[in-house]
Amino acid sequence: MAQSPHPTPEYVPLEESSDGVDLTLIRWTLSLTPLERLELLQDWVDGLTELRHGRVTER
Amino acid sequence: MDESRSVRFLGLLRALIHHGVDFLVVGGVAAQLEGAPVLTFDLDVLYDKTSENIERLLPVLEELKAHYRDPAGRHIEPDIDKLKTFRTHLLLTELGALDVLSAIGNGLTYHDLANRTVVYELGDMRIRVLELAAVIETKEQANRDKDRAALPVLKQTLLMKTQTKQDEES
Repeated sequence: MAQSPHPTPEYVPLEESSDGVDLTLIRWTLSLTPLERLELLQDWVDGLTELRHGRVTER
Repeated sequence: MDESRSVRFLGLLRALIHHGVDFLVVGGVAAQLEGAPVLTFDLDVLYDKTSENIERLLPVLEELKAHYRDPAGRHIEPDIDKLKTFRTHLLLTELGALDVLSAIGNGLTYHDLANRTVVYELGDMRIRVLELAAVIETKEQANRDKDRAALPVLKQTLLMKTQTKQDEES
Protein backbone atom coordinates (compact mmCIF):
# COMPACT_ATOMS: atom_id res chain seq x y z
CA MET A 1 0.00 0.00 0.00
CA ALA A 2 1.31 3.40 -0.97
CA GLN A 3 2.32 5.76 1.83
CA SER A 4 0.30 8.92 2.34
CA PRO A 5 2.04 11.98 0.87
CA HIS A 6 1.25 13.77 4.13
CA PRO A 7 2.41 11.52 6.96
CA THR A 8 0.95 12.25 10.37
CA PRO A 9 3.46 14.23 12.42
CA GLU A 10 4.93 12.40 15.33
CA TYR A 11 3.00 13.18 18.50
CA VAL A 12 5.01 15.05 21.09
CA PRO A 13 3.48 14.43 24.50
CA LEU A 14 2.75 17.44 26.68
CA GLU A 15 5.12 17.82 29.54
CA GLU A 16 2.61 19.02 32.08
CA SER A 17 1.63 17.85 35.51
CA SER A 18 -1.98 16.83 36.12
CA ASP A 19 -2.71 20.35 37.38
CA GLY A 20 -1.20 22.02 34.33
CA VAL A 21 2.27 22.92 35.57
CA ASP A 22 4.82 23.21 32.74
CA LEU A 23 7.52 20.67 33.63
CA THR A 24 9.90 21.86 30.90
CA LEU A 25 10.16 25.26 32.55
CA ILE A 26 10.94 23.72 35.93
CA ARG A 27 13.51 21.38 34.39
CA TRP A 28 15.16 24.38 32.76
CA THR A 29 15.36 26.49 35.92
CA LEU A 30 16.63 23.52 37.91
CA SER A 31 19.45 23.14 35.36
CA LEU A 32 20.70 26.67 36.13
CA THR A 33 22.97 27.77 38.94
CA PRO A 34 21.38 29.84 41.73
CA LEU A 35 23.02 32.99 40.37
CA GLU A 36 21.70 32.23 36.89
CA ARG A 37 18.22 31.70 38.37
CA LEU A 38 18.34 35.11 40.01
CA GLU A 39 19.60 36.71 36.79
CA LEU A 40 16.74 35.02 34.92
CA LEU A 41 14.24 36.46 37.37
CA GLN A 42 15.88 39.87 36.95
CA ASP A 43 15.55 39.54 33.16
CA TRP A 44 11.85 38.64 33.44
CA VAL A 45 11.17 41.57 35.75
CA ASP A 46 13.16 44.00 33.57
CA GLY A 47 11.39 42.78 30.44
CA LEU A 48 7.94 43.14 31.96
CA THR A 49 8.81 46.56 33.35
CA GLU A 50 9.90 47.69 29.88
CA LEU A 51 6.71 46.34 28.37
CA ARG A 52 4.60 48.08 31.01
CA HIS A 53 6.25 51.37 30.15
CA GLY A 54 6.17 50.78 26.39
CA ARG A 55 9.90 50.91 26.01
CA VAL A 56 10.59 47.67 24.25
CA THR A 57 13.63 47.95 22.02
CA GLU A 58 13.71 46.09 18.76
CA ARG A 59 16.11 43.18 18.76
CA MET B 1 13.37 55.63 42.95
CA ASP B 2 12.35 56.06 39.34
CA GLU B 3 9.27 53.82 39.46
CA SER B 4 9.76 52.84 35.82
CA ARG B 5 12.89 50.96 36.93
CA SER B 6 12.58 47.44 38.12
CA VAL B 7 13.79 46.02 41.40
CA ARG B 8 17.53 45.24 41.58
CA PHE B 9 17.71 41.98 43.50
CA LEU B 10 21.48 41.67 43.75
CA GLY B 11 21.88 45.32 44.73
CA LEU B 12 19.41 44.98 47.60
CA LEU B 13 21.09 41.80 48.83
CA ARG B 14 24.51 43.40 48.60
CA ALA B 15 23.39 46.37 50.70
CA LEU B 16 22.05 44.09 53.45
CA ILE B 17 25.16 41.90 53.43
CA HIS B 18 27.48 44.91 53.40
CA HIS B 19 25.95 46.18 56.65
CA GLY B 20 26.10 42.77 58.32
CA VAL B 21 22.33 42.38 58.65
CA ASP B 22 21.17 38.92 59.76
CA PHE B 23 18.37 37.94 57.40
CA LEU B 24 16.92 35.08 55.39
CA VAL B 25 15.66 35.41 51.83
CA VAL B 26 12.05 34.18 51.79
CA GLY B 27 9.07 34.35 49.42
CA GLY B 28 9.27 34.41 45.65
CA VAL B 29 12.99 35.08 45.36
CA ALA B 30 13.71 32.16 47.69
CA ALA B 31 11.49 29.96 45.53
CA GLN B 32 13.28 31.09 42.36
CA LEU B 33 16.72 30.51 43.90
CA GLU B 34 15.54 27.03 44.85
CA GLY B 35 14.68 26.39 41.21
CA ALA B 36 10.96 27.15 41.00
CA PRO B 37 10.11 29.36 38.01
CA VAL B 38 8.04 32.04 39.71
CA LEU B 39 7.78 35.74 39.00
CA THR B 40 8.03 38.31 41.75
CA PHE B 41 8.57 42.03 41.72
CA ASP B 42 9.98 42.45 45.20
CA LEU B 43 12.57 40.99 47.52
CA ASP B 44 11.21 39.53 50.77
CA VAL B 45 13.60 39.19 53.68
CA LEU B 46 12.97 37.87 57.19
CA TYR B 47 15.13 39.76 59.67
CA ASP B 48 16.38 38.81 63.10
CA LYS B 49 14.47 41.09 65.46
CA THR B 50 17.24 41.62 68.01
CA SER B 51 18.06 45.20 68.89
CA GLU B 52 21.60 44.81 67.53
CA ASN B 53 20.35 43.57 64.17
CA ILE B 54 17.71 46.26 63.88
CA GLU B 55 20.47 48.80 64.52
CA ARG B 56 22.34 47.32 61.56
CA LEU B 57 19.23 47.14 59.39
CA LEU B 58 18.03 50.71 59.81
CA PRO B 59 21.14 52.37 58.24
CA VAL B 60 20.69 50.13 55.17
CA LEU B 61 17.11 51.28 54.80
CA GLU B 62 18.18 54.89 55.25
CA GLU B 63 20.94 54.49 52.67
CA LEU B 64 18.41 53.00 50.24
CA LYS B 65 15.99 55.88 51.00
CA ALA B 66 13.34 53.36 52.00
CA HIS B 67 9.81 54.44 52.73
CA TYR B 68 6.55 52.59 53.18
CA ARG B 69 4.44 51.83 50.13
CA ASP B 70 1.57 53.79 51.63
CA PRO B 71 -1.72 53.55 49.71
CA ALA B 72 -2.53 57.08 50.83
CA GLY B 73 0.70 58.35 49.32
CA ARG B 74 2.20 59.60 52.59
CA HIS B 75 5.97 59.56 52.94
CA ILE B 76 6.61 57.40 56.01
CA GLU B 77 10.09 56.12 56.75
CA PRO B 78 10.95 53.07 58.85
CA ASP B 79 12.54 53.64 62.24
CA ILE B 80 13.78 51.58 65.16
CA ASP B 81 10.42 51.55 66.95
CA LYS B 82 8.52 50.43 63.85
CA LEU B 83 11.06 47.71 63.09
CA LYS B 84 10.81 46.47 66.67
CA THR B 85 7.02 46.63 66.79
CA PHE B 86 5.50 45.70 63.46
CA ARG B 87 5.68 42.43 61.57
CA THR B 88 5.49 43.62 57.98
CA HIS B 89 7.28 46.53 56.34
CA LEU B 90 6.43 46.90 52.65
CA LEU B 91 9.01 49.38 51.46
CA LEU B 92 10.00 51.14 48.28
CA THR B 93 13.71 51.85 47.98
CA GLU B 94 16.09 53.31 45.42
CA LEU B 95 16.65 49.74 44.28
CA GLY B 96 13.00 48.75 44.14
CA ALA B 97 10.44 47.07 46.34
CA LEU B 98 11.81 45.49 49.50
CA ASP B 99 9.57 43.69 51.99
CA VAL B 100 11.22 43.53 55.38
CA LEU B 101 9.45 41.03 57.61
CA SER B 102 9.91 39.95 61.22
CA ALA B 103 7.52 36.99 60.85
CA ILE B 104 5.91 35.03 58.03
CA GLY B 105 3.25 32.34 57.71
CA ASN B 106 1.76 31.56 61.11
CA GLY B 107 4.09 33.99 62.85
CA LEU B 108 7.34 32.12 62.14
CA THR B 109 10.40 34.20 62.96
CA TYR B 110 14.01 34.27 61.82
CA HIS B 111 14.93 31.95 64.68
CA ASP B 112 12.10 29.53 63.89
CA LEU B 113 13.31 29.16 60.30
CA ALA B 114 17.08 29.69 60.55
CA ASN B 115 17.72 25.94 60.49
CA ARG B 116 15.57 25.49 57.39
CA THR B 117 17.82 27.36 55.02
CA VAL B 118 20.22 26.72 52.19
CA VAL B 119 23.33 28.85 51.72
CA TYR B 120 23.89 30.03 48.17
CA GLU B 121 26.93 31.81 46.79
CA LEU B 122 25.86 34.60 44.49
CA GLY B 123 29.05 36.05 43.10
CA ASP B 124 30.99 37.21 46.14
CA MET B 125 28.01 36.98 48.49
CA ARG B 126 26.80 34.13 50.67
CA ILE B 127 23.04 34.32 51.09
CA ARG B 128 20.85 32.28 53.42
CA VAL B 129 17.71 31.24 51.61
CA LEU B 130 14.61 29.53 53.00
CA GLU B 131 14.48 26.00 51.62
CA LEU B 132 11.70 25.26 49.16
CA ALA B 133 9.76 22.92 51.48
CA ALA B 134 9.61 25.70 54.08
CA VAL B 135 8.60 28.27 51.44
CA ILE B 136 5.67 25.99 50.59
CA GLU B 137 4.71 25.58 54.25
CA THR B 138 4.76 29.32 54.93
CA LYS B 139 2.71 30.03 51.80
CA GLU B 140 0.17 27.39 52.86
CA GLN B 141 -0.02 29.06 56.25
CA ALA B 142 -0.41 32.54 54.75
CA ASN B 143 -3.14 31.13 52.49
CA ARG B 144 -3.69 34.29 50.43
CA ASP B 145 -4.91 34.00 46.84
CA LYS B 146 -1.44 34.74 45.47
CA ASP B 147 0.13 32.14 47.75
CA ARG B 148 -2.36 29.45 46.75
CA ALA B 149 -1.83 30.29 43.08
CA ALA B 150 1.91 29.68 43.36
CA LEU B 151 1.65 26.36 45.20
CA PRO B 152 1.29 23.96 42.22
CA VAL B 153 4.57 25.18 40.66
CA LEU B 154 6.37 25.15 44.00
CA LYS B 155 5.19 21.65 44.89
CA GLN B 156 6.01 20.27 41.46
CA THR B 157 9.50 21.80 41.66
CA LEU B 158 10.07 20.24 45.07
CA LEU B 159 8.94 16.87 43.72
CA MET B 160 11.31 17.10 40.75
CA LYS B 161 14.22 18.22 42.96
CA THR B 162 13.61 15.31 45.30
CA GLN B 163 13.43 12.84 42.42
CA THR B 164 16.66 14.18 40.92
CA LYS B 165 18.42 13.90 44.27
CA GLN B 166 17.22 10.33 44.74
CA ASP B 167 18.35 9.42 41.20
CA GLU B 168 21.79 10.89 41.88
CA GLU B 169 22.12 8.97 45.15
CA SER B 170 21.07 5.60 43.72
